[in-house]
Amino acid sequence: MLKEYRIVLRNSGLIDPENIDEFIAADGYRALQKALKSEPIGIYEEIIDSGLRGRGGAGFPTGTKEKAAAVICSDCTRYVICNADEGEPGTFKDRVIMETDPHTLIEGIAIAAYSIGAHKGFIYIRGEYGLATRRVQLAIEQAYDRGFLGKNILGSGFDFDLEIRRGAGSYLCGEELTLIESVEGKRGHPRIKPPYPAERGLWGAPTLINNVETLANFPAIILNGAKWYRSIGTEKSPGTKIFTISGDVNKPGFYEFPMGVTLKELIYDVANGVKDGKPFGAALIGGAAGTFASEQHMDVPMDYDKLREVGLTLGSGAVIVMDDTRDLNQVMLSILRFFKHESCGKCIPCRVGTTQLYNLLNENLTQGNFDPAKVYPELIRQAGMIAKTSLCPLGQSPILPLKSLWEHILVSQIANQ
Amino acid sequence: MGAYFGFANSKSVIMAKVKIRIDGKEVLANEGANLLHEARLNGFDIPGLCYHRKLTPTGACRLCLVKVEGQRGLVASCTLTVKEGMNIVAFDQELEDTRRFLLDYLISEQNTSYDDTYTDELRELILRYNLDKAENRFFKPIKHEVELKIDDSSPVLTYDPSKCIKCFRCIKACDEVQGKNVLSFTQRGLNSYIVAGTGTWGESECDGCGECIQLCPTGAIVEKPHRDTISISKVEQRVRTTCPYCGVGCQIELLVQNGRIVRSNGVEGVLPNDGRLCVKGRFGYDFVHSPDRLTKPLIRKNGELVEASWDEALTLIASKFNELKQKYGPDSLAGYASAKCTNEDNYLFQKFIRIAFGTNNLDYCTRLCHASTVTAMLKSIGDGAGSNSIEDFETTDCLIVIGNNIIETHPITATYIKRGAAKGMKIIVIDPRRTPLVSYSTLWLQPRLGTDVALLNGMIREIIVNGWFDQNFIENRVEGGMQAFSDLKDLVEKYTPEVTESITGVPAEAVKEAAKIYATAKTAMVATGMGMSQQVTGTHNVFSLLNMILITGKIGKERCGIDPPRGQNNVQGATDVGCHPTMYPGYIPISNVENRQKVAHVWGVPFESLSDRPGLTTVEIIQAALQGKIKGLYIIGENPMISDPDLNHTENALEKLEFLVVQDIFLTETARFAHVVLPASSWAEKNGTLVNSDRRVLRVRKAIESPGEARQDWEIIHELAARMGKPMPKYRDEAEIFDELARITPIMAGISHARLEHQGIQWPCPTPDHPGTPTLYLDKFNTPTEKAKLFPVEYTEQSEQATSEYPFILNSGRILYHYHTGTMSRKNKVLTDFVNKPYVVMHPNDAFKLGVKHGERVKLTSLRGSIETQVRIADEVLEGELFMPWHFTEAQVNRLTRDELDPYSRIAPFKISAVRVEAVGD
Repeated sequence: MLKEYRIVLRNSGLIDPENIDEFIAADGYRALQKALKSEPIGIYEEIIDSGLRGRGGAGFPTGTKEKAAAVICSDCTRYVICNADEGEPGTFKDRVIMETDPHTLIEGIAIAAYSIGAHKGFIYIRGEYGLATRRVQLAIEQAYDRGFLGKNILGSGFDFDLEIRRGAGSYLCGEELTLIESVEGKRGHPRIKPPYPAERGLWGAPTLINNVETLANFPAIILNGAKWYRSIGTEKSPGTKIFTISGDVNKPGFYEFPMGVTLKELIYDVANGVKDGKPFGAALIGGAAGTFASEQHMDVPMDYDKLREVGLTLGSGAVIVMDDTRDLNQVMLSILRFFKHESCGKCIPCRVGTTQLYNLLNENLTQGNFDPAKVYPELIRQAGMIAKTSLCPLGQSPILPLKSLWEHILVSQIANQ
Repeated sequence: MGAYFGFANSKSVIMAKVKIRIDGKEVLANEGANLLHEARLNGFDIPGLCYHRKLTPTGACRLCLVKVEGQRGLVASCTLTVKEGMNIVAFDQELEDTRRFLLDYLISEQNTSYDDTYTDELRELILRYNLDKAENRFFKPIKHEVELKIDDSSPVLTYDPSKCIKCFRCIKACDEVQGKNVLSFTQRGLNSYIVAGTGTWGESECDGCGECIQLCPTGAIVEKPHRDTISISKVEQRVRTTCPYCGVGCQIELLVQNGRIVRSNGVEGVLPNDGRLCVKGRFGYDFVHSPDRLTKPLIRKNGELVEASWDEALTLIASKFNELKQKYGPDSLAGYASAKCTNEDNYLFQKFIRIAFGTNNLDYCTRLCHASTVTAMLKSIGDGAGSNSIEDFETTDCLIVIGNNIIETHPITATYIKRGAAKGMKIIVIDPRRTPLVSYSTLWLQPRLGTDVALLNGMIREIIVNGWFDQNFIENRVEGGMQAFSDLKDLVEKYTPEVTESITGVPAEAVKEAAKIYATAKTAMVATGMGMSQQVTGTHNVFSLLNMILITGKIGKERCGIDPPRGQNNVQGATDVGCHPTMYPGYIPISNVENRQKVAHVWGVPFESLSDRPGLTTVEIIQAALQGKIKGLYIIGENPMISDPDLNHTENALEKLEFLVVQDIFLTETARFAHVVLPASSWAEKNGTLVNSDRRVLRVRKAIESPGEARQDWEIIHELAARMGKPMPKYRDEAEIFDELARITPIMAGISHARLEHQGIQWPCPTPDHPGTPTLYLDKFNTPTEKAKLFPVEYTEQSEQATSEYPFILNSGRILYHYHTGTMSRKNKVLTDFVNKPYVVMHPNDAFKLGVKHGERVKLTSLRGSIETQVRIADEVLEGELFMPWHFTEAQVNRLTRDELDPYSRIAPFKISAVRVEAVGD
């Protein structure tokens, strides 16, 4: 069987997440100590050199974001925010990190804060994540007690405060600018972009905002160096990725692998194959804002770029596997229902479009004699317009599953009929 | 933020023009300005519904998408700022197809019905993109999952969520423009709709200003009054004029249909208000159509006022006034001018009093509001008017608002303050009451009523002790320099923070903090109000304030100064044009022979005919009437039977007059005492000008005809002069009257009606090419020495104190929804829907001690009289103090006040009356 390579999850299941001593015993907070002894510029350059890319789904180079927030002004207030509003269906990697090794995350956030000169940080945790919230809260308290947070951390003169903000059930609040609005105590509506958060983020100040998994990579990179990190994964997507596999597989769960692992390996080697021995139907990669992969994609190395080349997205690393008996149109309908429900309503194309898409598919499905060749091109046309005109990434999402389902699966189904 | 651009003719930042290309055409645009706005200014009519010039961009409707060279995809032009060399595609097939697609989407969830009662920007776009016909629409209508309920609970508007496009304009209007933050969204996605407060509009904190109505691009928020009669397509006239209420001078546009005013909108893009209005400005015009309007002259016959012809009335008045003049001498006659009449009316009125009556017994209600402020300012700095422009209330670094409930009394000035606060301006509120501005303030000092001098001296001492004074300013711009300063220093020495605390009740630490914030701010302004002026120590209060301003050098430079916001639309102008017992138009003293000669020359009257005797002031005229010295009184547009102090006394005086003429639009409380009542014109029936609180001369324009036989005020005055044998020249129109007034009023010499066509001009404006003066005293003060003068003053105890018999101190003032004596505001349904009952505010502890409940009726008694009203229990007042609005004739506060006067300005102490309170059974 293919062996996991755990960086982010190295302590997961091995230490008591509520006991900071066990974390410290496992080299915990050593990266922070090391970071505090070097210049901040050295930290973000190390991250740039490591090639670490945002694990929230967009895959933007993390160090570049850090640098932007660090150099935009001198002597100004900055913030760091950890995006733990894990709302993408089928995704639970951040929850696992927070529940099983919260200190790795806190250490990563503190290093990031030091590198950009932020003295205040927030972890915005999905409201439904009760256990994760409790464990992160406990870990924060422990970190304060031991001097890893607060004033003059480890005698370095660096001050950093960290607190939790909780989401309240909005998928859109996982979008970075909407999340920032929410941290500010406002309604979860997206902001106009640009300015990007690194320029004007929380309360108008330069802000570094990163996903949990991204920040949890920081300690290992700082301890072991960029070169080590680059030796893992693929050339353009170094490091590992946590994949959360669910659906019709024998062994669903979370697994950390170097970038470049294939879908076939994940489904057959790791998750022990499709349930009940049925043939593989499709896999939805990256959640609702993700793409449908078919049998033909089994051997594509999974990283940001290789997947994009074949019309897929890595996204959050969620893999929802469907056997060949699943009605993919019904799956699509529930994805569209999800977008309709989660659209904030701020911009016209997304507010109206998500409902129009759902209604169009739903009406055609309930009428009988469903002909995808008639319906999907129109769905894709509208979703394309929505993507082109929407204010934020939510409106840019429905096109992804629609287009990939049609092109990767339905077109060939029709051809084979 | 590119939302706030400033105005032509104001001192806002001038942006550099840069070249950009739109659809291949090179255009000049303001660098850093909003791209959509600039494109539209250049004739590219890019569609868009959520953008508004006054608001931060939202990017919600997506209709203004354009292509920008060097940027991927389509970009909402409302979210971009102009940069040199930009190359934009605003119109091509793809963009227009996309816009039609978006609009088609939008109307699939909209109720697009239209009833012609509002301007519908969405409908205009639907027509433009040929989507009015169902066959051109591609998308099926969407059924909403939740029932969209109309919210009809507000007195001023109706919200119909089925017509709401969620553009955010109302929310931002309420938040960014008016600083009220009442509106937000509830629910999400397709189900989202606007909610006021936490439930319905009627229960929310919405105060009815209607900014959201004005900025709503569809029929979602439409104003309620006259909705059953208005048809936008049948509106005959849109007349730009100036609001008839407070002294902000908001520019409004009146919509006239069938000869009646059916709507009032704020005029966008001009000062002082840039489209903003308060509830009175937007909804307070119905009084002009009231059935109670006077339409015929009335003459008292056998004790009753009966209708008469103009000829009979004017003949009677002329002969009666001439008779009194001959019998008792010219100084037995007097006139009350009007703060609600135009400059032209008031100018002719003072000319009439001076040449036809031959006296200077001429005053008006300014004596009852800012006389002490004006007296102190004239002596200390040389002008009795605000030193700054209204925009400075947003851009100064620190603002002290003292004795001024500015959010309620000058709501639009307050919008500038709230916007400043949002950007970090420090606000210090000094008020015995918790006024609404306290919520926006950095610091609130709550002195006991009547202890202002002690508080200000305490602050001055703190400033001196800490070296926060401006020695350079004192040496160069203050008479006597550091010697004068040293006298002030000696005087304030005893007002230590602790002594100040013991007198005022303001904690010593707060005194220190306030002094520090004000004195160390880079720029700072002061807005002073009736709380300071309406005391027997009114002039001293303002001297003390000016002392603080002068030693810190917080005047005579941009965004620094002192502004007394004026209470009525032309209270500033009436004095400016000479309705004053000792001054001719333009603050020219009557005592000077040369001045009299000049005025006599312009008026074409013998120099000797102009009296050099100082006239009596407002309250003195009433006192003289009571003593039998004043026999005849001519009142235009004033209602002393509500506004004067000690009304029982006023009543006796009016009854004693041999002849009283009241010229008004209503049969006021005062008119009931008149021998002749003349029906005059309301502001909506007049042409002319007035002067607002920041010295801005503004146009008033006629929108409707006067009812019945009612006539223009100036024409009545003109006719009476002729009938009294002192004819004035023939004036073709109001512009010609203004030209004459400009000839003898140096501060307005460069102004004419023609120059005011687009927007107002701030005096002094000495020549026709002078742009006007936004800020006074930049080079010199307007005193004879050209320097400012310190007037060190001691705190003295108020002459009326609480006693065991009269244990409360009663304060009086105005509220947002009503105005002055209520003759205008209480004849508007919207305003009376909000408030229509008098009340007195009492601290909960006092209410507990007295055993009175909220809403219970009580009797208030002072040494002068007693009234009954309802109790409102709130901790906005201190224990032992009460507050009562004075607009209500059914509970006349001025039955309780006294006519003891400030020795310098002759103002009465409306703010301080000792009273007792007793519960009365139902």
